[in-house]
Amino acid sequence: MTSTPALPEAPRLARVPEPAVDVGAYLDLDRGLVDRRILSDQALYRQELRRVFAPSWLFLAHESQFRKPGDFFTTYMGEDPVIVAMGRDRKLRAFLNACRHRGMRVCRADTGATKAFTCSYHGWSYDLAGELVNVPNGEDYPAHFDRREWGLTQVAQLDTYKGLVFATWNPEAPPLVEALGGMAWYMDAMLDRDPEGTEALDGVHKWVLEGNWKLAAEQFASDWYHVNISHASALMVMSPSGKGPKAEIVQTPGRQYTDPLGHGAGFPTHPKSRFDDRVVHGYYDYGALRERLGDARVEGPMTTGHATVFPNFSYLPVFGSIRVWHPKGPDRIEVHAWTIVDRSMPDEVKDAQRLYNLRTFGPSGIFEQDDGENWSECQSTARGFMAGSMALNYQMGMGLQAEDGVHPGTTGRLYSDGAARGFYARWRDLMNTPAWHEKDTP
Amino acid sequence: MTTHPPEPAVMDTAPVSIDSEIRIHFEVQRLYAYEARLLDQHRYADWLELFTEDLHYWAPVRTNRLRRQQSLADGAPGEVGIFDETKASLAWRIRRFDSGMAWAEDPPSRTRHLITNVLVAPGDEPGEHIAESAFLCYRNRLEREVDLYAGCRTDVLRRDPDGMLLIARRTILLDQNVLLAKNISTFL
Repeated sequence: MTSTPALPEAPRLARVPEPAVDVGAYLDLDRGLVDRRILSDQALYRQELRRVFAPSWLFLAHESQFRKPGDFFTTYMGEDPVIVAMGRDRKLRAFLNACRHRGMRVCRADTGATKAFTCSYHGWSYDLAGELVNVPNGEDYPAHFDRREWGLTQVAQLDTYKGLVFATWNPEAPPLVEALGGMAWYMDAMLDRDPEGTEALDGVHKWVLEGNWKLAAEQFASDWYHVNISHASALMVMSPSGKGPKAEIVQTPGRQYTDPLGHGAGFPTHPKSRFDDRVVHGYYDYGALRERLGDARVEGPMTTGHATVFPNFSYLPVFGSIRVWHPKGPDRIEVHAWTIVDRSMPDEVKDAQRLYNLRTFGPSGIFEQDDGENWSECQSTARGFMAGSMALNYQMGMGLQAEDGVHPGTTGRLYSDGAARGFYARWRDLMNTPAWHEKDTP
Repeated sequence: MTTHPPEPAVMDTAPVSIDSEIRIHFEVQRLYAYEARLLDQHRYADWLELFTEDLHYWAPVRTNRLRRQQSLADGAPGEVGIFDETKASLAWRIRRFDSGMAWAEDPPSRTRHLITNVLVAPGDEPGEHIAESAFLCYRNRLEREVDLYAGCRTDVLRRDPDGMLLIARRTILLDQNVLLAKNISTFL
């Protein structure tokens, strides 16, 4: 359901080039080294907004949030505010949430239903297709003023993958399914368990973290390692004995997928290393799931996995948690997190999944509380000159990545920095490549 | 599935008979001051004893909605919330704090729960009271971290066989849309 911009080309100013830094020196991934200035430098952050966020497919919302024409949801792409709305033709569109007149947000509600987005500054009003339909005192504009040219700025491409809505400003971006690449096989362990697909429960968790967005994105791509220590308290209360998981679970076998496009996913493969809710676990017909998704996915990414779709969308299959790490400066993240469930689940199973997710993940969750503490600490020491410019160690699992014959693509051991190295390699490549919007330099 | 919060509209009228209210008002104020003290001393197991066995402890998400859709601004039962707890699930959260490995609270934060604007009205069932209170919870963590959690609590209170007031239901409306903190590692 790709939507193409229907509006005439908007008038533009000539592009003022912005200096770009070659980030190659900040990373030596062959040796597993990462300079911490990439977490704190303001100029690099501005470059990320231009070259990582603007050209990439970014997660916007879940399709189930839009049931009828006029339903809208506001979110961010990078630091750009956007509106996602279902038009009268039932197509989803996404626009910059910024009036073309003075730039004010034309929608200041999180979600709802409307017929038009009217700026409360001077009253410019846009319909659900983003077209400018009313300009108060229009007779005072010159003859060449053409309302059709001043619609809301629409994304270049919008598409969905199994219920998840993504968009990009980049007209040259490959189709979404190509941008997801080999990651889609792993995502299906969460999105395709049910022939009816998934739906998002009402209510979005939103909270702020002190930390660079990459700390969170990288961890969800690549970091099972922290679980036993950071989440020791949660593992203890969740273990049947109440004393913490057994040694074979702590040393659980598992695999970690590294995608050449920067995505990553990790998952235990020990049959007892799983943390799903009892009611949800009881609901699933694992025989049918094996037929639908194959043994490798049921025994792998459908267990207690973690994953990041580059750059800033992450999910946790058994917790039903999907989230986006919105950057808010080099040292701040705003997290928006949803709970998704399989559509065919009976209400009591959906409710069990909802309660399980909010008690484990989300701002009060017994896992998530400790994640917030880690990232704010990592960020605060990056302010120092010595601590902030030292190389960090990303060497775990080096030399152990290969095709394993079971899981598609390149995988390594569960305990590995492999997907983090892949994440940063993709980040480096985008940071060092002029984006589509830089190509029209006079 | 969760149930609707008590409707606090009964508190919209001015008090008519001061004498009849003094006793219960004092009792509720004292309960809340004691509860705040337990929370600020991190005595969570003792805190949990202030609740009935059939407790529902609930903090919905607050959404920015257009004025004509204000009725949908506070999360409904069954939606994603910040807390949606039974006494057993609170006990589960508390056991985590007692594990010695709950790093988000190690070293522990300093908190101060201020409870004010208390209004008490008769509840729906005989012997029950509805109490509304405002809270301001200040958290200072490690060196410089400060978080403020402000909002309103609506409780249903009921007496145990010994006559002690216990909290049977609590609805917490936190006055934030984006939670302006990295987590909530205390209770409200």
